[in-house]
Amino acid sequence: MTSYSKEVIADLVAGTLPWPQTRRIMSAYKDDDRFFKYVAVLQERVGWKDPILLPVGDHLFICQSGDERVTKCECGHSFGDYRKNWKLKAAIIVRDSEETLREIYPNSDLPDPDWMEIREFICPECGTLHEVEAAAPGYPIVHDFEPDLEGFYRDWLGKPLEPLNKGG
Amino acid sequence: MLDKPASALRIRERLLESERLMDETGCYDGITELHLRNQDPLKFETLHTKLRAYCVSAREMARRISASPGVREVGEMVVAIYTPEGDAIALSNGIMVHVHTMSRFIKWMVRNGYEENPQIRDGDIFANNDAFIGTVQVPDVMDVVPIFHSGKLVGWAGAVCHELEAGGITPGGDVALAQERFTEGLFVCAEKVGENDQLRRDYVIRCERNLRMPIYWVLDEKAKVASCIDMRESVKALIDEIGLDYWMQVSKEFIEEGRRAQLARTRQLTVPGIYRGHTFYGHVTAGKPGYQPLGDPDWLYNIPIEMEITSDGKIIMDFEGTQPWGYHSMNCTPAGMDGGMFVTLTQHMNFEGLVNDGAWMATELKLPHGTWTNPDNEMVATATSWALLLPAYGVFQRLLSRSFIARGFVEEAFVGQVNSPMIEMGGTSQYGTPFGMAHFECAAAGSGALAIKDGLDTAYVGWNPESDMGNIEIWEQNMPMLYIGRSIVPNSGGAGKYRGGCSFLSTWLVSKTDHLRLVTSEHSSRVFDNGGLCGGYPAPTCQKHRAVRDSNIFELAENGAPLAHHTGTNPYRSELEVRLEGEHVTLEGPYITAPHKTGDVFAHSYNGGGGYGDVLERDPVKTAWDVENGFLTKEAAEGIFGIVLDEDEEGFPVANLDATKRHRAEMRAERLARAKPVSEWMAKERERVKAADFAPEVKKMYASAIKLSPRFTRDFSAFWDVDAKSTFGAE
Repeated sequence: MTSYSKEVIADLVAGTLPWPQTRRIMSAYKDDDRFFKYVAVLQERVGWKDPILLPVGDHLFICQSGDERVTKCECGHSFGDYRKNWKLKAAIIVRDSEETLREIYPNSDLPDPDWMEIREFICPECGTLHEVEAAAPGYPIVHDFEPDLEGFYRDWLGKPLEPLNKGG
Repeated sequence: MLDKPASALRIRERLLESERLMDETGCYDGITELHLRNQDPLKFETLHTKLRAYCVSAREMARRISASPGVREVGEMVVAIYTPEGDAIALSNGIMVHVHTMSRFIKWMVRNGYEENPQIRDGDIFANNDAFIGTVQVPDVMDVVPIFHSGKLVGWAGAVCHELEAGGITPGGDVALAQERFTEGLFVCAEKVGENDQLRRDYVIRCERNLRMPIYWVLDEKAKVASCIDMRESVKALIDEIGLDYWMQVSKEFIEEGRRAQLARTRQLTVPGIYRGHTFYGHVTAGKPGYQPLGDPDWLYNIPIEMEITSDGKIIMDFEGTQPWGYHSMNCTPAGMDGGMFVTLTQHMNFEGLVNDGAWMATELKLPHGTWTNPDNEMVATATSWALLLPAYGVFQRLLSRSFIARGFVEEAFVGQVNSPMIEMGGTSQYGTPFGMAHFECAAAGSGALAIKDGLDTAYVGWNPESDMGNIEIWEQNMPMLYIGRSIVPNSGGAGKYRGGCSFLSTWLVSKTDHLRLVTSEHSSRVFDNGGLCGGYPAPTCQKHRAVRDSNIFELAENGAPLAHHTGTNPYRSELEVRLEGEHVTLEGPYITAPHKTGDVFAHSYNGGGGYGDVLERDPVKTAWDVENGFLTKEAAEGIFGIVLDEDEEGFPVANLDATKRHRAEMRAERLARAKPVSEWMAKERERVKAADFAPEVKKMYASAIKLSPRFTRDFSAFWDVDAKSTFGAE
């Protein structure tokens, strides 16, 4: 069975693994022990102790926080219950004018702000830009991902999560 | 070599039986055990490798018969081997989107009594380019031949080429101006076009009389037939070797194994749950010549996708909430939607093991009736389906990628494909002859970023993983235009920790013709039709067209003065305007205008891909390299990414790490100061929603989605706490 060291996984995740080695990993059979090594690498990266249950973005994790399962920024900021859309608890910058769109698109033709706006969802504590939506004005904010967290641990990983006292 | 049939085929009954067995057992053709694989796995794998080798070799041979630069240079072709019921067993590389569309074509003939009339006999050749039977768009013309052994139908060999000219209302294959089926070009609707391994003369004459440039289509037909015969003979020789019974069983086990492999791969690489995303597409044609007033000239489509990964590993994609079909060329049939799914899966999940129709069987598409994904009117045009398909499957790639990131397979996460605008042309060639063609250098857009590195620059399109732009000299042989530039477009990839791949732009001088019609398609107007992921921005994909009529370029050349080779980086005054005199044209939307002539200049831009991750985390050293090589501008490095660049003694950019750190800290603070809580923004925005204070095209989009989709209506109403139906007058 294919398997890589935690150090290799850490470099891969950080984007620092040399390309020939990355390429070999991409071409090889996948390593079935990846998930828990990956989580261990991320756990070492964050500055907090709550166990990571599932990464859902580049710096966004579902973790066990006491009796709750919450979506957390890498800085430690909690966006609340992981079943709710974390974006609704984020800070937002909306680019809906030529001036603000031009800051990101200095050379190209721009969207018509009457037809499309760029929404940036930001951690209100550390300022990390977690997600960008390009949407028509008035379009509801998307709930990107609702994982079947318990089913995943129980049926796919064979390691059921501890039941929650508070129904999370 | 021909093997005359000995008995009634009854393939239709066999097809129905196969589908019944799948329904009953959940396994392809009722194959619950892979007996042959278990008996001798090595033989099993070797045989599939052989079949794949037959396909790859037949395609390469056929490419050398073709006269079309689309097939020869860019590889716009795929071939595959099928079961008698029409399920793909093995396929070549190339435009793999068509492996399943061809499957639909074969099944359609079987279901529609082709065994009785026109009959299916050894040596017959059947062709199709009708998307409601099984293809994506009119230029995707497919040929299949039956494979007989010992008097029995034992399979099919099939091949598809994308034709550069389809004889529609505008020249080229992706007939941009088609608003109904009747203007899309030459249709071949599941026809028997040849017998005894020969194309019928009357069919060839029909092609010659109805196409602007029949040499492409006709020689492609010959190339396809040659590849089909080559595969057929290889399969027959293989059956001689392994026995007919073994073949009939193993070919089905290959598919069942493909199905199981796809489910297992999903369970291995992803996380079960619900994933959501969307993109948009804008179309602007008001006042353009040729458009009939059949529908709104300007419109905006939303393309929402909800993807469910079930606990058994099935992927279900649901397009509910998207827009109705329209009088334009961008509608798509279920066959095309299948094709998009198939080609995406083969790239992202089936990179080892068996690739065949089994993968498709492990998925489900929910295509709401009456929408552009599943029109309830078979008269609609689908000539440029890709315009909506590519953005849609780009969303699929981002949804899949989020699941790869959650599972830890970050090396597979990919921000996705983008549209790559097509330019097509016709009129009088540089040789003084009538001509028409699609310029296929669009098969080399920028890719979306990966979760661990930048996207590919000018080297990826979703429909053909073997992406290639073709050599300039070959294109120049085939059209009355000369390249005066083919350049990377700086900042054309979506910004992010890892940027999207950049696009390129071609600048041409019209030469040796007094009548050149240029037409473009598959580019969104007024909205980006792609996205970023995990903080990355979408790529700027709503470019306008720029041309100069009656330019003074020959005079400049004679005087040795500088020419314009690209449009430059000033969005308010292009290099064409700076360098050239003449009638300057900047046009939004599809480029459909009066013919061009010698001395005119035209620039055409393709698209870059979306970005991944927060821009403030981008590597300063890589960015210096990007600036040095023209992928980013110095201004973008500093203004977007917060990377301060100095110059070394020779003038090359060098990252100033300390200054970058300081600048980024300022930018982050500014970002926080500028941002407001989402709840605050929503409260204000809700007032706008309640008043439906939007552009007419946006209001129309909401009204249409609400009319077609109870779920969209419910979600919209719940999100904004409004009555969506009364807000948009959709009651």
